[in-house]
Amino acid sequence: MDTKYILNIIQNNSHKKGGLITVLEKIQEKYTYLPEKALRLVAKETGQSLTDIYGVATFYKAFSLKPRGKHYLCACLGTACHVRGAQTIVEEFKQQLNIMPGETTPDNEITFETVNCLGACALGPIVVSDKYYLAKVTVRKVKEIILNTKEGKYGSNETSNGHVFPIEAFCPQCNHSLMDNKHHLDGYPSILINFSTDGKRGWARLPSLYGYFTKIYENEILEDTIVSFFCPHCLSVLPDSSDCIECGAPFASMKINNGDGLFKICTRAGCKGHILELIGELL
Amino acid sequence: MDRYMRRLESIETFLEIKSSLMEQYDHQIPTLVIPAGTCGQASGANALIRAAKKELLQKKLTRKIRLRVTGCHGFCAMEPSVLVEPQRTFYPKVTPDDIATIIEAVAHGKTVNRLLFIDLETGQRIEIQDDIPFFKKQTRTIMSRNEKVDPIRIHDYIRNGGYEALAKVLSCQNPQSILEEVKASGLRGRGGAGFSTGQKWQLFASQRNGNDKYIICNADEGDPGAYMDRSILEGNPHGIIEGMTIGAYATGATEGIIYVRTEYPLAIKHLNAAIKQARGLGLLGDNILGTKFSFDINIVKGAGAFVCGEETALIQSIEGHMGEPRQRPPFPIVKGLYGRPTMINNVETWANIPLIINMGGRTFVQIGTEGSSGTKIFSLVGKIKNTGLVEVPMGITIKEVVQGIGGGPSGKVKIKAVQTGGPSGGCIPASRFDLTIDYESLKNVGSIMGSGGMIVMDDNTCMVDVAKYFMNFLKDESCGKCFPCRKGTQRMHEILDDISRGRGSSESLELLEELAMAVKDTAMCGLGQTASNPVLSTLRYFRDEYIEHIEKKHCPAGVCKDLITYFISDRCIGCMLCIKACPEGAITGTKKQQHVIDTSKCIKCGTCKDVCKSEAVQTI
Repeated sequence: MDTKYILNIIQNNSHKKGGLITVLEKIQEKYTYLPEKALRLVAKETGQSLTDIYGVATFYKAFSLKPRGKHYLCACLGTACHVRGAQTIVEEFKQQLNIMPGETTPDNEITFETVNCLGACALGPIVVSDKYYLAKVTVRKVKEIILNTKEGKYGSNETSNGHVFPIEAFCPQCNHSLMDNKHHLDGYPSILINFSTDGKRGWARLPSLYGYFTKIYENEILEDTIVSFFCPHCLSVLPDSSDCIECGAPFASMKINNGDGLFKICTRAGCKGHILELIGELL
Repeated sequence: MDRYMRRLESIETFLEIKSSLMEQYDHQIPTLVIPAGTCGQASGANALIRAAKKELLQKKLTRKIRLRVTGCHGFCAMEPSVLVEPQRTFYPKVTPDDIATIIEAVAHGKTVNRLLFIDLETGQRIEIQDDIPFFKKQTRTIMSRNEKVDPIRIHDYIRNGGYEALAKVLSCQNPQSILEEVKASGLRGRGGAGFSTGQKWQLFASQRNGNDKYIICNADEGDPGAYMDRSILEGNPHGIIEGMTIGAYATGATEGIIYVRTEYPLAIKHLNAAIKQARGLGLLGDNILGTKFSFDINIVKGAGAFVCGEETALIQSIEGHMGEPRQRPPFPIVKGLYGRPTMINNVETWANIPLIINMGGRTFVQIGTEGSSGTKIFSLVGKIKNTGLVEVPMGITIKEVVQGIGGGPSGKVKIKAVQTGGPSGGCIPASRFDLTIDYESLKNVGSIMGSGGMIVMDDNTCMVDVAKYFMNFLKDESCGKCFPCRKGTQRMHEILDDISRGRGSSESLELLEELAMAVKDTAMCGLGQTASNPVLSTLRYFRDEYIEHIEKKHCPAGVCKDLITYFISDRCIGCMLCIKACPEGAITGTKKQQHVIDTSKCIKCGTCKDVCKSEAVQTI
């Protein structure tokens, strides 16, 4: 257990009103569950009794005291899903995975849960595979869903039906192309820019195929660090006045296809937030 | 560009920016509007958006055709859909491959006939969204805003009249006049109980207990089957922020909190972005629009507990404790969050506020009925053809909603009842469908308005199973603080479970009724007191179904698994569809021969019945 990390979470949140739930949420984000040691540490540091902390940790459904599997499957049991047969889908998952809702498969691959309503009632029965919503699930699809979940197929490029496409990026200041024809990623020239952060600087590379998204840095950067991106040619910062929708960090933007729009990427290391805005969407 | 990003230092600059945004916007440029709320994304809106961007870029049409990604428009059954402005052409269930055809047509000012919506009643294709019966019969004062704004772009909202109501109240500098408007509007809380919003605000405004006063937006939409709050939060988060800011100005609140379910990740994302943008423009935070008025909003995420929708439990949860309700009085309005006066309103209530200020309370009160003014958004789901969010004036009949807007049953089976009000509500039988919808009439038939879930049930829905479902939900979600609710819901569930398994006796119903009344009379909070409603209302209208389960050990709807057996009748044409579909391999047979189900292998999942085209699979 990373004591320093948890102490940091406690320090940043426990002075705030209602901080306990946020502290537990952040711990769970990191470990996928609430380890006993972490709860004891929270009690010691905040002065709250372990009983109270245990009470909160067990009262809310979002918290788990057991480690979760690599993948997450969740069947909605809202009323609309129920009248469309969600219960039989849960039964099928139970049988196929050989576990009860709330449990994890012995190979640690899948945690299966049920939820009371996800609010996508028109498309019921709904099943969530990791973060991906599957609509109108039938008993027959359960086997395939489990298989695809294990392979992480949902939401990945394979399910995008070929509607991915390459873009060409330019510096919004000097108009110089940011494409690197010598280094291909996913079969297309990559986008090459520079980054800097406290003490570190180097290049960063992105795939130009829209729909695929990873940021590769020359040096290793701690997750959560916010970096500045800049043009390797004119050295000006890639500016943007809007923020990442995923995490709230500032965006950095590049011009695409000679002015057809902007390609914005999140400046936080580890965040996959990005957006392609066509000129018509902008002001 | 930069000029629009600057903090707005006065009401005048806001109005200038707004007019210039409106002037700049050319309404004649064709725009593809793609709804991509949680439900839209689940049905493939993201792939559609990507395909549209690809097409616009490759055809070099980025300057000729606009794209707007919005929240949910309400017609969820037809998603992913595309709306083309300014004509308002509606394309249902669009695939990424269709989008190229649509863009090609739009570029030439044409429509694609073969992709238009078909009215099943007349068989005719309908081009314009507003001519489709589903939309035509609604009064979409709140929902219509969703299609106009991209929720992550504050300027979209401002251009469409957003924050105008806030500017108006800030310039007239008379908090009491806002209270009068809200009172005159006759608005009642959209969260369920239907308390007069104006009265609540007046009461809260008069609280002088210390310096801090909180207002809370209750976005813990826990009722299964209701999702209008999610749709508003995702599609128009600024509407909530504006409503709350006006509320704070009228009542003297110092801080706002939006308590939102963790199960709504997209809503949380959009709210976070919206709050940040509003702060950036000086529409939230210190000295709003350069005035002396300061107010800020923070988001608190729930952690998955239905009971936290109850106001005292919600407050406990925000304070970081277990979400257990407490006795009232003192009411939160006197002593709430951190012991300070606290006013809690539901999402839809807040969304109505800017509308009321803009149109005036006296105009608003004209919509709906005398005791229940305005519109109400219902989530019309279950066994209904046109599933989605429908916004109708109060006083409309259930029949108009179910038949007129909903288009009747989804299959061939007759509609039996609608369930309203979530776990605190009840089932209304089809024989009462000419009932007008308002707070009182629903209460009179044993249900409640609740947050607006309307779950349609047909003859294949078993009412004992429905009651059991809700009781299972309630026993899991009961916080356990008070005995009647903790034990009562558990025991009621056991009795219902017994009945559904053919173990019920003649005393079961009496016991169930007695228990239901006891829980109703003695539970501490609103959730416990209404927990019996699903049982009482199904007993009231569908007693014969209970009796059939008990006396004949038979489930007429064919749902309660212990009481049914699947078999294949002589209507079977031997197509082998069910053999392929059966997940257990329980069906045998050869081509053109009647198939047989091995009951020892059958798990009664009903897949064979679903796939059978000749209605040969039946239950006894």
